[in-house]
Amino acid sequence: MMRHDLIVIGAGPAGLSAAIEAARLGMDVAVFDENARPGGQLFKQIHKFFGSKEHHAKERGFRIGEDLLADAEKLGVAVHLNATVMGIYEGREVLVKHEDETVHAKADAIIIATGAAENMIPFTGWDKPGVIGAGAAQALMNLQGVMPGKRILMVGSGNVGLVVSFQLLQAGCEVAAVIDAAPRIGGYGVHAAKVARTGVPFYTRHTVVEALGKDRVEGAVIAEVDDHFQPIPGTEKTLDVDTICIAVGLSPMSQLADTAGCDLVLDRKRGGTVPVIDEYGETSVPNVYCAGDAAGIEEASTAMILGRISAIRAAEKAGFLGAAEFTARADEYAASLSKLRRGMFAPQNKGRTDMTETDEGYPLSKSLLAHGFLEPNEVSAFPCATVHEVGVHPVIECTQNIPCNPCQDACRFGCITVGDDIVKLPVIDETKRCTGCGMCVASCSGQAIFLVDEAYEPGYASVGIPYEFVPVPKAGARGHALNRAGAPICDAEVVSVKYTKAMDKTVLLTMKVPAEFASEARFYRD
Amino acid sequence: MRIKQHPIIDDYGKGAQISFTLDGKPMVGYEGDSIAAALHAAGIMTHRYTAKRHTPRGVFCCIGRCTDCVMIVNGQPNVRTCITPLEEGMEVQTQYGVVNREQWEADHQ
Repeated sequence: MMRHDLIVIGAGPAGLSAAIEAARLGMDVAVFDENARPGGQLFKQIHKFFGSKEHHAKERGFRIGEDLLADAEKLGVAVHLNATVMGIYEGREVLVKHEDETVHAKADAIIIATGAAENMIPFTGWDKPGVIGAGAAQALMNLQGVMPGKRILMVGSGNVGLVVSFQLLQAGCEVAAVIDAAPRIGGYGVHAAKVARTGVPFYTRHTVVEALGKDRVEGAVIAEVDDHFQPIPGTEKTLDVDTICIAVGLSPMSQLADTAGCDLVLDRKRGGTVPVIDEYGETSVPNVYCAGDAAGIEEASTAMILGRISAIRAAEKAGFLGAAEFTARADEYAASLSKLRRGMFAPQNKGRTDMTETDEGYPLSKSLLAHGFLEPNEVSAFPCATVHEVGVHPVIECTQNIPCNPCQDACRFGCITVGDDIVKLPVIDETKRCTGCGMCVASCSGQAIFLVDEAYEPGYASVGIPYEFVPVPKAGARGHALNRAGAPICDAEVVSVKYTKAMDKTVLLTMKVPAEFASEARFYRD
Repeated sequence: MRIKQHPIIDDYGKGAQISFTLDGKPMVGYEGDSIAAALHAAGIMTHRYTAKRHTPRGVFCCIGRCTDCVMIVNGQPNVRTCITPLEEGMEVQTQYGVVNREQWEADHQ
């Protein structure tokens, strides 16, 4: 029997954060994870995260994972891998299958941070090789360096479907379409927009009805759905794909809370059956906590804070943290959390379809929700996207209230302000000078900032875009500018390619286009 | 197919090329590959055939949860190939039910 002050189950963002926090307070912590590698799903996440600096915004997920592991190692946190916790029993005793043996461990407190499992939808042929989960696509391309397929249908337009679609494009795959049975795109508009501008079509109110092929996927049949999500006969379309990728949501893995005897509740806003918890993540079983996606589906950035909150509570109860210090930290973490739990994608707004305008009162783009891109007349409703001054200046196509503010910190000249409420849309100060450095472009996790100079040369404008593909075109290259819908609209010449270490692999690619396309050209292709 | 160049990831941490066999045929992969990744890179999609309806299965979740990708590895059936590291000289076999093809055919004569 191993004895510890705290047992953490799961070495993902919530679990590692909890373990680090507790170890810093002097607790003896053991972490068990069933996987061969720690980090949960963080190492698959190669995109820049949202939030503000305190939430690791604009850092790529796998870097956050590396930092967490380094902290855990420095503090001597014991992370047991290939260690599957099979149950939690009376007296906070856990049974762990480690390699070929079974061991018992006990602690004063347990934090369940087991994360989530992918949802699936059954359809004809869904068991064929070539139908994979979105997480599988990420594991193959981002961890193993193997392309999941050549041409992919993405089923689901939540943030996972959108982010993975973009990552598939980065890995060199084609994405034939992103479909969703809902009437609107589920994830962030900026994530959809960066996929749409490369030419990927979005089909909302569509589902996949069949995977074609004998021994593997050789095509997909999609169809429009009615108001009850049933396919409408006669609307079928066949797509030439070799892979169907499923990204239809996540469900909390709350089984261990069940074995511990915790009260459970079916809560759709939290993604399924979850333990009943208090503000510190403590379940109905004293000293058993649940943090991160296992307690309700959210982002990794919230999971990291939730892990810390449960850890300080456990530390306080066990005498490792004084009451005053606990209250101060708890308040600080609660404030940090509440910054992220705001805006139209916050958990309390999950499933809402009645929002028609931003907090500022600007009309939400209908096209962005239906097709993944802003229509020109919709863009013009947003001041941050339509500044017209002499010389280069940022155009920020940020049109939904998402908790994020790295653009504000990126500009050394104070051009961009988001303010304390980080879900607010950025405001551009036209009196401040823009030098065209591109730091704001690279800092925007949504890749929604462009640098435009309407009077670059007589008759020509320059448009600087975030570019995260290879090969990077060289200055002097000639090709086409694509509009927000991914359609070629005019000839374009690459006039500069800027990349610095601080831009963290987001290249500022500046192209010259005929002046009349300055507010339309948003992507470049050879 | 392997990704030759990636805009964000510089290094997948792969080591030397290693040899293994699939149903007796020589194959190559790299240190750091999972068995499934090496097979996927070589275009192999079918890992097994189901016992009842004899339909093909391959990689599905790729995190060791769904067990769709299991194969016979060094004589041991039901090995989750997506989370099992590839090793030099491994003998990987397509799994038919819970046995290999020869056994399956002998059992179904």
